[in-house]
Amino acid sequence: MRLTVEKTFKLYVGGQFIRSESGRVLRVRSREGSSVNVCSASRKDFRDAMDLARKAQPGWAARTGYNRGQILYRLAEMLESRARALPTEADDVTQAIDRAVHHAGWSDKITALLSSLNPVASAHVNYSMLRPLGVVVAAPDVADGLTGMVEALCAATVMGNTVHLFVPATLGELAAALSEALATCDMPGGVVNVMTADVPELLGWANHHDDLDGIYVARAAVSAETLAGIEREAARVMRRVIVVAGAAAPASPQVLEHLAEVKTVWMSS
Amino acid sequence: MDNPAPPHPPDTRHRLRLAGALELSPSIEKHPVTIHERYGHFINGELVPGQGDESFATVNPATGATLAQVAAAGQADVDAAVAAARKAHDEVWSKLSGLERGKYLFRIARRLQERSREFSVLETIDNGKPIRETRDVDLPLAAAHFFYYAGWADKLSYATRGAPPRSLGVAAQVIPWNFPMLMLAWKIAPALATGNTVVLKPAETTPLSAMLFAELLQEVELPPGVVNIVNGAGATGNLVVSHPGVNKVAFTGSTEVGRAIMRTIAGAGKRATMELGGKGANIIYADAALDQAVEGCVDGIFFNQGHVCCAGSRLLLEESIAEDFIARLKRRVETLRVGDPLDKNTDVGAINSQGQLRTIERYLEIGREEGATVWQGGACEPPGSGYFVRPTILTGVQQSDTVVREEIFGPVLACLTFRTPDEAIAKANDSEYGLACGVWSEKTSKVFRTAHALNCGVVWANGYNLFDPSSPFGGVRHSGFGREGGIAGLWPYLEA
Repeated sequence: MRLTVEKTFKLYVGGQFIRSESGRVLRVRSREGSSVNVCSASRKDFRDAMDLARKAQPGWAARTGYNRGQILYRLAEMLESRARALPTEADDVTQAIDRAVHHAGWSDKITALLSSLNPVASAHVNYSMLRPLGVVVAAPDVADGLTGMVEALCAATVMGNTVHLFVPATLGELAAALSEALATCDMPGGVVNVMTADVPELLGWANHHDDLDGIYVARAAVSAETLAGIEREAARVMRRVIVVAGAAAPASPQVLEHLAEVKTVWMSS
Repeated sequence: MDNPAPPHPPDTRHRLRLAGALELSPSIEKHPVTIHERYGHFINGELVPGQGDESFATVNPATGATLAQVAAAGQADVDAAVAAARKAHDEVWSKLSGLERGKYLFRIARRLQERSREFSVLETIDNGKPIRETRDVDLPLAAAHFFYYAGWADKLSYATRGAPPRSLGVAAQVIPWNFPMLMLAWKIAPALATGNTVVLKPAETTPLSAMLFAELLQEVELPPGVVNIVNGAGATGNLVVSHPGVNKVAFTGSTEVGRAIMRTIAGAGKRATMELGGKGANIIYADAALDQAVEGCVDGIFFNQGHVCCAGSRLLLEESIAEDFIARLKRRVETLRVGDPLDKNTDVGAINSQGQLRTIERYLEIGREEGATVWQGGACEPPGSGYFVRPTILTGVQQSDTVVREEIFGPVLACLTFRTPDEAIAKANDSEYGLACGVWSEKTSKVFRTAHALNCGVVWANGYNLFDPSSPFGGVRHSGFGREGGIAGLWPYLEA
């Protein structure tokens, strides 16, 4: 009899695969039924990741829409090439890949769609454009599987934000597979951080971090009580909370707009 | 070697001695407006006295005299208003075609234009702002706002970029006292255009123009319940926003109250728009047109006694021009007439309430304690009665000072300096707020670079405090979220 070589699934932060500084590892059941080890992110891990995401954000937002679109399309390519190895349903894999392709196409168009040249009654060139929220935490619904994770990270990054994806350890194996695709799709380090954790607990810590700009949460990802608590705490710093129904359909332009701020400039003429 | 003395010491070079030269002339304006002794609420198309016994007085801040007694709405009044709004939404307003809804808004805009003088005088009496501003800014902009959103009512599917435009239901709207009619227009016009109905609570120190607006709504035959107005202070506001029959909350006011409202409605699934405080930076580069920039600073902080959420209350001056610029600015501020708001020549009117007057005075005290030099201008002594503050300039302050960090909401300007564009941007962005900023330079590339690097919702290049119904307005971070004005002003009132 041969003993299996067990791998511990790590966190993906700042473009690196790292263990939790806390040393916390959870043992969960894999898709095939065996036991696997998944690192569980701590408050300190989040604080470190926050620094990296904040540093990465201006550079990511400053890239051209064309370039960001190509990187998201490259993510679709990387997922497609390992489609059969991804530990989830085949439908989930194809939907997730197609979702990345869909959002890749928004990167150089959404600004044109949601910006406006405002015909003010004075001698100014007055325009409103979108600028990113900044750094966003995303908690997709577990039931949405890979599609939920891809939908959340694409919606956030296509608007120029950097994002921390919070995933429960039960999806650790799938999250690690997604992280491997992210690590090889030319996405700069720190733009997407994937953290397996006790999601409500880590959301609580994240919500205490004053530098975080927004929380994107699928309605079913947390209990109604937890969601109310998140909204209450977010009010302390007027943090944006974006509650989405789920990942069955891609984010509409209206939802994408909630991941950005409208900025108006009155330019003298 | 000793440096020779400059030919003109900078602090006296631009000095004009105007104090005493411009005596205030008493207002010759006749008041073409009736102020009733008592006011209640406007519910389901009727002006009603209110079900409780509680009431409060609204005063003329320029004299301190009581103008009227106003009923404070309790739970029963708010229940009635929300029920009327719900019924009007479900049975009438959401079923009306966009074009017909728009026609009501056009009617409102027209009547506002026609009765503009009456509204201006009433607003000035109740608020304390100069008649010049209500006449030339508040009322024309309020009418323009209704006119603008009237035209959107039958074109909403173009604004939603493909999604079917669906109204949210009943909107609870709480507005401040600094621009009572303009804020009413900013709230009601987009809500009605998108098929929502409204329960509005005006500020307790400025309820009168909203009640005159209720009479106007009867005149234009707006269906009962589409707009309901309940009077009262914070307790009433809390009843309105927390009411379970409300789908949408729109608030303009302080960050502190906005935060309390967001906590109250947490978990309720209500959509929200928050227009909160600010500490706007007005950046003047050395290559700016300096005299125009002086005018911009005056418009930025002394307009409406500085009771403006987006006021340019932090002046950032490039070091090489700082001394000269402050001298020019002081010279200009020495010509501002402080006094009777009904006098057409008045530049700076009355502070809206005794409470706000105390707040401003407390901040000036803190400023002095923290080492600021406090300079007060104005062409004349303010009247002996009423609530007045002379236009004030603080120098010798730094980023960490209370008067530089916190919103004072009065005619108080804090002056700081910078050496490079990067330093100007860093200092401007070093604030919890992010509502509006100004940037002044004749060099286009510098203006664009600075404007786009500022972390706020609105930037004025070579101007300040400009507003237009077609131009989205709103902030980031502690200044709130959601936009009012323009296409973006429709989105917060439609299902995403």
